[in-house]
Amino acid sequence: MKALHGMVPTLRPLDAARRLAAAAAVAALALASTAPAPAHAQASGVDPDAARILKRMTDYLASLPQFGADTSNVVEVVLVSGQKLQFDSASRLTLQRPNKLRTERVGDVASQSLFYDGHTLTLFDPNDGFYATVPAPGTIDAAVDFARDSLDVVAPAGDLITTDAYQRLMADSTSGFLVGKSVVDGVRCDHLAFRGIGVDWQVWIDDGDKPFPRKFVVTTLDVAGMPQFEIRMSNWTLTPDVSPKQFEFSPPPGATRIDFLPVGNAGAQP
Amino acid sequence: MITLRNVAAYAASFVILFCAEVAPDAPLGLRLVPEAKAVVGAPLTPVSVAGVARRTTRRVVVAESAEASSEASAQAAAAQQQAATAQQQSATAAQQSATAAQQSATAQQQAAAASGALPLGTVVATLPAGCSKMTSGGVEYYKCGPDYYRTAFQGSNLVYVTATP
Repeated sequence: MKALHGMVPTLRPLDAARRLAAAAAVAALALASTAPAPAHAQASGVDPDAARILKRMTDYLASLPQFGADTSNVVEVVLVSGQKLQFDSASRLTLQRPNKLRTERVGDVASQSLFYDGHTLTLFDPNDGFYATVPAPGTIDAAVDFARDSLDVVAPAGDLITTDAYQRLMADSTSGFLVGKSVVDGVRCDHLAFRGIGVDWQVWIDDGDKPFPRKFVVTTLDVAGMPQFEIRMSNWTLTPDVSPKQFEFSPPPGATRIDFLPVGNAGAQP
Repeated sequence: MITLRNVAAYAASFVILFCAEVAPDAPLGLRLVPEAKAVVGAPLTPVSVAGVARRTTRRVVVAESAEASSEASAQAAAAQQQAATAQQQSATAAQQSATAAQQSATAQQQAAAASGALPLGTVVATLPAGCSKMTSGGVEYYKCGPDYYRTAFQGSNLVYVTATP
């Protein structure tokens, strides 16, 4: 199995049949393997096809003046016992370049919305009636960084939606290859697999004339149990409602404004 | 048992999502995890490629409520944390430093529990029992024993932080 594992990225160029076999080998490993694969078994370098397909997707999203999508997310959590749990959530994402973004959890027991209007960023918890609003940078790209670094609000799809997504994704990626064709939620996709520092990630991209990402998986290698985050994106639209009220937050009557704790608030500190 | 909650709260300090999502819910879901089940990973599961690389800056939370805990439960929590630490030792230095921070938080919390009041700025995921709500200077506080808490977002999680009205 180890040998097969090592072969996969080195089968270049792969013909269709060999790609299929390689993908099957990967799948079998995923099912059978209990030990982490040795890092040295991986070939280095990013396959040009993989880079091209990824860049086509990120360039496409960057070129769109606006879009919306539904997302379905699964995050895994590992207990000390080794038992792994999954938590699901679903959201609606609406974006208008260069500086409007809204995400809204939907169809869930709890809900939470994020509003970014180019000036401020608001996180709103309608169930409990709390919100926090802070000044924010003037572009989506900068706001994604600001939210992560200053608020500890992390944007996973932020990996995909910024105009410089390709550079962000590839900055620390040491290898990548085209696994082959796959069908995600009924859509034919190219399946790409990359390795970075402490992370493996995969993306499935519509192989038609609108190369939307359909699925994105982040595997953290250096946490016991290697938990994964998965996001599926569907119902892409180029004509979402982008009226100003979609992005500007007005607190409803009775809502209470609160603060974000400073990032790095570790344990008890005065 | 309350001491164990700090581990769950730590988990609840989880990541949050923004653009596409995620994590706002993870914390909520995690609060349903039985308190005896500690969570590995510091900080839990990154939800972005950039997040993995930048984890070392992520916070580690949480101390416990003042009503915390018999010595026995504290020891149980410590044992669980040691188990978690052992698992994490095979991981990166970043994780180890996070674990150290967690242990430090635990130590502070235990010291605070002994003295009967928590240091200002202590963050908990859930309030202890028997709190009463009050307003001071237009801000809502919860008075719980010797401590006052105000509500805040830590990332996208709602938490309570000790404060002075």
